[in-house]
Order: sequence, then structure tokens, then C-alpha cells
Amino acid sequence: MGLDLLELSKTFPGNGLGESVHVLENIQHRIENGRFVSIIGPSGCGKTTLLRIIAGLEKASAGKVLLDGKELVQGTEEVGLVFQEYALFPWRTTLQNIEMGLEIRGMDKPKRRLTAMEYIKTFDLNGFEHRYPRELSGGMKQRVAIARTLIMNPRVVLMDEPFGSLDSQTRNAMQEFLLRIWLKRGDTIIFVTHNVEEAVFLSDEIVILSKRPARLIQSIDMDLPRPRDRTSETCNKIRRGILKILEEEMKREEVGDEDRWDRL
Amino acid sequence: MKKERYLLPLILILVWQGLSSVQVIPSYKLPSPVEIVLGFRDLLIVGVPPGHLLHNHMLYSLYRVALGYAVAALLAIPLGLLMGWSPGILRMIRPLFELVRPIPPLAWIPIAILWFGIGIKSAAFIIFLGAFSPILLNTISGVLSINPILIEAARTLHAKEKDIFLKVLLPGAVPSIFVGMRIGIGIGWMTLVAAEFTGVKEGFGLGYMIMTARDIQRPDEILAGMLVIGVIGLLIDIGLRAIESKTIKWQ
Amino acid sequence: MKKIILFFWVNLLFFVAIAQGQPVRIAYLQSDIHHLPFWVAIEKGFFEKEGVRVEVAGIFKAGPEMMSAFAAGSLDMGFVGNAPTITALANRTVRAALLAQVNTEGSAIVVKKDGRLQTLPELVGKGVAIPGHSTVQDFLLRKAFIKHNIQADQVKVIVLKPPEMIGALRTDQIDAFIAWEPHSAKAQTMGVGRVVAHSRDIWKDHPCCGLVADTGFLETHPEKLKAIVRSHVMATDFIHRHREEAIKIAIKYTGMDEGTIRLAMENVHYTYIPSVDGIREYVEFLTKLKYIKVEDTTTFLDRLMRTEILREIIRR
Repeated sequence: MGLDLLELSKTFPGNGLGESVHVLENIQHRIENGRFVSIIGPSGCGKTTLLRIIAGLEKASAGKVLLDGKELVQGTEEVGLVFQEYALFPWRTTLQNIEMGLEIRGMDKPKRRLTAMEYIKTFDLNGFEHRYPRELSGGMKQRVAIARTLIMNPRVVLMDEPFGSLDSQTRNAMQEFLLRIWLKRGDTIIFVTHNVEEAVFLSDEIVILSKRPARLIQSIDMDLPRPRDRTSETCNKIRRGILKILEEEMKREEVGDEDRWDRL
Repeated sequence: MKKERYLLPLILILVWQGLSSVQVIPSYKLPSPVEIVLGFRDLLIVGVPPGHLLHNHMLYSLYRVALGYAVAALLAIPLGLLMGWSPGILRMIRPLFELVRPIPPLAWIPIAILWFGIGIKSAAFIIFLGAFSPILLNTISGVLSINPILIEAARTLHAKEKDIFLKVLLPGAVPSIFVGMRIGIGIGWMTLVAAEFTGVKEGFGLGYMIMTARDIQRPDEILAGMLVIGVIGLLIDIGLRAIESKTIKWQ
Repeated sequence: MKKIILFFWVNLLFFVAIAQGQPVRIAYLQSDIHHLPFWVAIEKGFFEKEGVRVEVAGIFKAGPEMMSAFAAGSLDMGFVGNAPTITALANRTVRAALLAQVNTEGSAIVVKKDGRLQTLPELVGKGVAIPGHSTVQDFLLRKAFIKHNIQADQVKVIVLKPPEMIGALRTDQIDAFIAWEPHSAKAQTMGVGRVVAHSRDIWKDHPCCGLVADTGFLETHPEKLKAIVRSHVMATDFIHRHREEAIKIAIKYTGMDEGTIRLAMENVHYTYIPSVDGIREYVEFLTKLKYIKVEDTTTFLDRLMRTEILREIIRR
């Protein structure tokens, strides 16, 4: 059981000035429940668009998304999305941000508070529950954003380069933190990133997308036990391999090149 | 630092008093600071017209402005939220609004008298017209300037339209709404004097007081009255800003 | 040679024009039939006959406004109520003097035609409009209150410009108004109002409007001033002798119909002789009302009234 992407394509219509932009081309893949899957690809290839379609913020031009065999309806609670820019509500405290989804769902206040406080503890935000986002560091803000999504217990957690704007030390710490949480919870995570090392460190599976219009070039199973050593030879090897694929992809002619890497 | 702030005005007042004392500035054109202070005392004790004391004038004016302003805020804020939220509604209402907006509130005085007669309703109407535009425009801008990503974040948390309106648009627009409200009360209070020229039935009002001081040829009382209006306007603004900083702790 | 002669003539004409001088800046009150002598003097060319040029420097909605213009130095002379003149002079906002009277009487208290108010005492608790504080009408109203034992605070006094009064009466914004003619006559001919008291019922022969001059102007241009006062005297006599023609001029300057003007003029008595007693009473009343504080009534009156010019003219 899992998330099925069936022949997903997306074309943005031209706006009179420009031509239409073909962003996703026939994406076909299954993501098993409970797996941590990273999506890697060149900049601007459409990774974010893919996430947005799964999240229901965008409509696919063709194709379907199925969850456990049933078609995913837009705006569903089954899917959560963590934005790269955190997207925390600036007028809400940490606690209020985290419980936002529960509030919308209609959960009563005492119960909300209790549940949210659990997450404050787990996400190491003690002492900051009544602070506002502007008072939080980047790492903290991202933890709040993740907590806000995870508290809803979605079937699929989408993450769009969540650690992209953090410095490398904070980033590493956040990766370890995320891993800890995930190992306890077992969510299905689809994690978009630029950073190959990050993908290698975290994922069960790495999916590589091509340049625009994005096609699935390759999917790599990461059969390594955790915790992983970022600097180990195995990790480095995998990393080099992926980088090479990406390098070749970047050199390729943009559209109409028949020499494609089309392995599923 | 604080003391230097008062140095310049103090010097100006002393120079002014000096010039007035030797009648380089004639008192019928511009009374001296001392005369203005005495005029203020007359406003308090004797009243203009005699018997109508300052505090009553203040109360009536404040009441009129409060009425006009309250109606303006109660109409403009929800309307602004709606117009910011729905491009359709914005397109529908905007042309009419942009047509009416350039007409100065004072130009409405004759119509206001025809519709509402002389009395609090016509004065409040003029003040309403002055306050409405800034509140509406700032509310709309407040909604439109909300980062769209916040609306998407709410959607991913399963927010329905009603939730987005109440939990995202409204709180997100609050800082701009406050800006609009401060500008609105400023303009509303400024329009007060002219609004009271519509004819004040009750015989009280700061604008009416100044007009009467002119009638009975007391420029010192005119200026004292103007100062009172200025000070009250300042206090109102300070008050609003205090409320604002208490409410918007997150910026 | 020709050039020199041309130059000479041009300069002569130029100096003649300058010597003619600036026109005298005179103001009056809008549609105030009390100021008919001024309009007559203009229409019949009396000013030209007296060799003086006149410019209408303002048409004001009420006396106090005109006094402000005097204070600002924009006027040389004006036709205006005695009460605003006294107030302005006492408060030292103007340096002006009363040269001659313009009229006595000529106001009325008007109530709604089909209303329930029949007599003055019924004004208690009602709203009455006046053209402004410290106007002649303000004064007359209070005198009427005293006469009928009404306390001033028992009536709501509202300030409106006379053109607005009829509309306000008609829509029941106010219960009565007091204004100068022809506004009271207009209310009657329009079928809106009914006179409950003429000003002569309140105070017989009371002074109303006067011809006022800025004292600076008086001191620097006494000849022009005399010419104006002479024209005024002629115009006043003219109104008495040629009533029909005067009515036509009044119609022209007020824009009102003949019926209204005739009715209005019955209520006005045109005279150029000021009444010192009447004016003294104004001063005492304004002092009592705390609108003004004068050093001493007699001294003040000496400052106010400069009727020697008038006396000189009449003697001749």
C-alpha cells in the first residue's frame, strides 16, 4: 500500500507573453507507506510543482494520484506539507501555530493544548511556546513548521527543501532530529532537496528527476542501515554516482533529446 | 536628549511673545502666547458663547466624531476584508468608490443638511465620509499584502474558506487595519470643525465654539480653541497607538 | 519735439489716473435689504457724481464675517449691523468708526405658518436660529426674551446663515428664526412662515445697520470718505422720494420677487441719523452678556462714533 503517482503531467498555460511551460512529464512511481523518499533534481525542474500537486495546491494536467488505491481529493487531510519558507503565521505563538490544524478541525481547546504541548516537548521547543515566530531562530521555526504538519498525523508528509535556508551545522542537527522523530513515528515522507548528501543520509529511496519537463530518470534504493555515517565510503560512492547522473543531465540538450535515462 | 526636544518650541514662543509685546505682531492678527493662555482660561470659565463652557464643547465634539467614526469603521473594515478577499467584489465596488473618494467631505455639507438636517447626524455623516476611505483602503491593502503562502499553509491544514477568512485574512490584515484606523481618526477629527459648520443644533461643539469666537471677535479664544483641538487629536492618536502595540505584539 | 509732447501727455494722463486713486473698497451683506442705500448709490451713479470710485470688495453672509475682513485690512468701509461693529471695536480687533446710520428696525421673528406656535412665550424649549452671535438679531431675540420673562437657557439658540433659515424652518429643523429683511418677508411669501413679532414690536426705532469706516482710511482719505457719506445721504433721500424705483433696485440686488421686496420694505426704516441712546443700549447689553468689556461706555462711544462728517454734510 502506498502513494501512487500515475502518469502525472503538468503544463502551465502561457500568459499571453510567454509560451506554456511544460513542467512534469509522465511521472509514474509508487511510494510505499512508511518510507522516507527523497526527490532530487536540477533547479527549477518541477520538484515543488510535484509536491504541490500531491498536496492539492495545484491540479495535474494529466494523470492521477492515488493513496492506498483511492484517488486523492484536493485539500485532504491525508497529506501534509512543510514549506521551505516555514510559512508560520506571524500573529500566532509557537503553541498556536502548532495547534492551528487541530483548531481548524474543531478540537476543543484543552485537548488541543495538551496535544500541542506534547509536540513542544518532543520538538525541543520548551520555553518558547508563547513566543512569536519573529523571536525564533531558523532551526526553531522549521521545527515548529514540521510539528504543525505532523500533529495532524497525515498519511503522507511532504517536505519542500525544509532545511534549505539553514546553515550547515543547524542543517545537520535538523536532519538528525527529523530522523529521530521519523524513526519513532514511521510516517511516509516525501522529501524534496537539492542536497545530495542530505538525501543520502536520510532516505530509504532517492528519486532523481530530469531537467524540465521533469521525468523520472532513476530511483535508487538505499539499503543502508541507520544511523549512517555521512563520510563513509558507501555514502560517498552513492553520492558521487548521483552527482554524476545530475551532471550529465545538466549537460543534456533541454528538450527533444531522445537519449534519455528512462529506468524505473 | 529629551530636554533638547523642547528647546526649539520654547525659543519660538519666547520670540513670539516678545514680538507681540512690542506690537510688531499686532494682537488682533495674532494674539500673544500670554493672551492665548488667558483666552484658554476664558474658554474654561466664561465660555464661548458665554455660558457654554469648554468641557461641554469637547464632550459634544467627541461624541459626534465617535459616532461618525464608529460607523465608518464598522462599515469599512468588513467591506475592506471582503474586497481584499474576493477579486470579484473588489472589481464590482472599486469603480464606484474611486469616483466618490476624491470628493472632499466638506463638499457634502449642503447635501448632508438636506438629508440629515442640522444636528448630530449631518456632522457625524461628514466625519464618516472623512474616515471611511483610509480605513477601507488600508484594510483592503492589508488583506492583499498577506503572503499567499500563508493561505496555502492554511489550506494544507484543511482550512475551509471560512477558516481562511477568520484565521488568516483577518489577523493578517490587522496591522494595516490599525494604520487605516489611525489615519481615519486623524482625518475625522480634522473634519470636525468644518462638519460643525453645518449648524450645530445643540449649541455645543469645538468647531461651533471657534466659529462663535470669530463672531464675537476674540482671536485669542479662536487660537486657544484651535490648540485644544490639536491637543485632543494628538491624545487620540497616542491612545490608538497604545492600543495597537498592545494588540499587535507579534511584529 | 513731437516726441516730447507725446511723452508729456502720457505722463499727465498717467498721473491723473493715479490721482484718481484706488477705488474705495466697500462691502455689504448678502441680500440684506437694509443696505439698499448702497445699491441705490451705485445704480444712480451718486459716487461718480461725488467724484469717487467705489469697488464692491465683499458681499458677506453675516456681520461678524465682515468685521473679520476689516481686521484683515481688506475693507475701507462697510454697511454692517451696529452690534457686530461694537463687538469688534470693543475687542480691539478692528480700528473702525461709525459714520452714519443706515436703517432702523427691519427684522422679524418668524415661526412656521401652520405651526402650533402662536406667541413668543411659546418659544420656551424650542429651537430658534440667529445669523450669528453678537448680531443685531441676537440682541433683539434676547431683548424679546426679557420682555416675555423667558430665561435665555430655556431656548435653544442655533446659528445659521439667513439663506439656510427658511429651509430649516420648513423641514422642522428649527421652530423659529430671526433675520433681517427680506428673509422674513420671503418666508411669508413662500407660504412657509408667519411673523410672530416684528423687531419694532420688540424695541421701537431700534438702530440696526450703520455705515462703518476703517479709521486708517478715515485719516488718510477724508475727502473720499466725505464723498461716500454724501452719496449715502443722497441715496437715502432718494429711497424716500422715489420708492418705486428703489424697489426695482432692491429686486435686482436681492434676486427676490416684487411681492417679497414690497413686504420687506414695509418693515424697514431708512435713515442716516444715528441714535446715540440706542447704540449705548447695545453697548451695555453686550457688556452684560460678557461678549465685550469696555473701558467706560461714554469713552467707548466717543471712540466709536465719528459723526462730525455727517453733521457737516447735513448742515449744508
